Amino acid sequence: MRESAPALEVESLRKHYGPTVALADASMSIEAGEIHAVLGENGAVKSTLVKILSGVVKPDQGTLKVNGWKPPPFHSIVDARKAGIATAFQELSLLPNLSVAENLLLPNLLRNPIGLTSRRANQRHANEILTQFGVADLDPTTSVESLALAEKQRLEITRALWRARHLLVLDEPSASLTDTTWLFEQIRRLANEGLAVLYISHRLSEVRSLCSRATVLRNGQSIDSVDLEGVDDNRIFEMMVGRSPEEAFGETGWPAPAGEAILEARGLTSGKARGIDLSLRRGEVLGVAALEGQGQRDLFRALTGLAHVKSGEIRVDGKPTSIHSPRQALRAGPGIAFVPEERKTEGIFSNMRTAANIILPQAFRMSRFGFLSHRIEEGHAMATAQRLDLQPRYLGFRIDALSGGNQQKAVIARALASGAGILVLFDPTRGVDVGTKQSIYRVIRDFADAGGSVLLYSSEIPELIELCNRCLVLYDGRITDELSGDTITEQTLISGIVGHRSYGTATAAEAS
Amino acid sequence: MKAFRTLFARFASNGALMIAIVYAMMLIAYAGSISSLSINSFNNILNAATPLALAAAGQTLIILIGGFDLSVAGVISIANVILALYPIEGPWGALASLLIVMGIGLAVGIVNGILVAYLRIQAIAATLGTMIVCQGVALLLLNAPGGWVADWMVYELTSVIGGILPVATLILAAVACAWLALKRTRFGAGLYAVGEDETAAELSGVNTRRVKFKAFCVAGICYGMAGYMLSAQTSTGDPNAGEPLLLLTFAAVAIGGTAFGGGRGGVIGSIIGALVLTLMQRMLFALGVSSFYTGLFQALVMVIAVVFAAIMLKLAKSRAQAGTE
Repeated sequence: MRESAPALEVESLRKHYGPTVALADASMSIEAGEIHAVLGENGAVKSTLVKILSGVVKPDQGTLKVNGWKPPPFHSIVDARKAGIATAFQELSLLPNLSVAENLLLPNLLRNPIGLTSRRANQRHANEILTQFGVADLDPTTSVESLALAEKQRLEITRALWRARHLLVLDEPSASLTDTTWLFEQIRRLANEGLAVLYISHRLSEVRSLCSRATVLRNGQSIDSVDLEGVDDNRIFEMMVGRSPEEAFGETGWPAPAGEAILEARGLTSGKARGIDLSLRRGEVLGVAALEGQGQRDLFRALTGLAHVKSGEIRVDGKPTSIHSPRQALRAGPGIAFVPEERKTEGIFSNMRTAANIILPQAFRMSRFGFLSHRIEEGHAMATAQRLDLQPRYLGFRIDALSGGNQQKAVIARALASGAGILVLFDPTRGVDVGTKQSIYRVIRDFADAGGSVLLYSSEIPELIELCNRCLVLYDGRITDELSGDTITEQTLISGIVGHRSYGTATAAEAS
Repeated sequence: MKAFRTLFARFASNGALMIAIVYAMMLIAYAGSISSLSINSFNNILNAATPLALAAAGQTLIILIGGFDLSVAGVISIANVILALYPIEGPWGALASLLIVMGIGLAVGIVNGILVAYLRIQAIAATLGTMIVCQGVALLLLNAPGGWVADWMVYELTSVIGGILPVATLILAAVACAWLALKRTRFGAGLYAVGEDETAAELSGVNTRRVKFKAFCVAGICYGMAGYMLSAQTSTGDPNAGEPLLLLTFAAVAIGGTAFGGGRGGVIGSIIGALVLTLMQRMLFALGVSSFYTGLFQALVMVIAVVFAAIMLKLAKSRAQAGTE
């Protein structure tokens, strides 16, 4: 059933959230029966593309055509389904309190003649679907919360497989599958029947074995679409990074200092992070490079007392320490201060003044007879604000009147003002302007050069190269590589985070 | 042994069943404590519980979607005032009155639904507003307790059919059946989906806004019916009639095992929760305990029920996690 028009054609898609541009100019086209990969270093861009295709997010600009036909704008996922597009989401969209059958068939549960949903008919129908797609081991009557993660993922995928008419969108479908045989078989079968498949995965080996073509995204733009056959990995990395690996080599990093370990994790397991060993030394910036969802969030939250440590040990200043809250983290050894990822919800107190936001951890120490005045607050906040080039006049404003970049400066100023000797920064420059980035970089380096220690996760590879003495690569919840000095390059980091190979003084076995 | 344990766990995690057993035990204790248990005294307990049970049934729908509805007090007050001011005699009059108060409840529900589902105002703020407006309207219509509810309603709706079947039982059974049917509609599945995770529900194709809107509409109708049954009992009008029931509806829902986070529970539990609360009032009265203590005991039962439900949910979750390891 090959048709002349491509199954999916998108042109110059653009989407921004406030000042942050998620998609700048993305175009691609997928033929019927084609399995097409999307590659790119930044997860946010890919997820925006997925959301636009499935009707969850409306693009600011750009056109979308299915089989040469331009469907009416999508207002919800139901509209996308009507146009023949079905999506299996990375962060599963299942309802744990409902049964497998209900999750599969929602919102159109089968009804008997008097209009009531018929449990038996729904179960039978669900069973037929599950059998058709080779997941007959899932019992339609069980509630989804009692399923294992891999089973949930298979259910999420099956729902999309069944609903897809023209285009199937799979966002990191193999993330929690231990065996991809089933998934690949189903995808190939449907593609043979003429379905177009958009396959998003950071596992290059998977993409190579499954997909025929790929579109590379960089900075929210589609760089090129290529036939995967006849393009080697280096060429793909080059497109992802924007220069050839040879050019990227030769950037000099910071030497690894010989200071003693100040914060260590041994066999730390929490959430997705499994068996993490790391040691942060005095006077260094230790980077963590990873694609989204590789366990970095759980690792950072466990180190700062926000997530439960399942097993393993945290040592601060050589002493085993248990940290159950950020408050305890601040009091452990030289003090661990955390800058979280979500500025709006976790970072700032939007209804308070900037100065109050900065000195909050010290509020009690600075009060006179239990009272604080704006003058005391601003006096104490001033020094740290200046280190970050945060203009003094902003200190008296409510923080939500400030730009995102200045808010982020205030959040980092708070961490500095706490007097902690260890900074744990989770993507501290996300969504801030170039000028602010430079101020933040300088403060991070100055802090480390003055003997402080920084653990830094960043979604931007160049940032890690610029700042880190050493850099760990996190893949699938484990540390797969450790790089230092000159070996920290775009080439080594990017091939590391996509699970391709490891370069440095690898601590763990090479990821497959 | 393991089979027994899972059986017990399944049994214990069914909040409605647990509370039904508590109710049965209380009823036996109550029967033992009063000198003569007749069908009449039984009927009295049921009658006293019906308005609360109906109000709690409506509230359950809102709590299932993760909301909160304060307008229940206002709707009951308006319904009561209208029925006391404009009594319509005879069975047809009673039916007409019922439709009128259900219409009032629906109207308030529609306003709530528009505010919460479409204008995305927080449920507690929106319904606080409609509650205050409704109470104001009730006071405008009737500024002091007074008026007479139609005789037919007062006598027939509190009677015992054929000497064995209290009308209140019939009404509660009808509500329970209506709920079981509603639960099996697409809307019913939508309630549980929206309450569990609104984003996931939307990604599953559920029209979350329409589900929320409908939930407020149906709840409003339930409150109108609660006002109707309350009027049949008190036989007079009181512009503040709904207020004492407001917090008790939440207590009944909590005792019945519906989670305040949404997505778990059901109307049957809430009805039994209402029965427990009312029976407790009667028991304490029969035992000669001062009515000042009633609230204390009710609160105690509610806290125990909520803590018990939380423990059961935690156990169920850790079991589910153990299954995934």
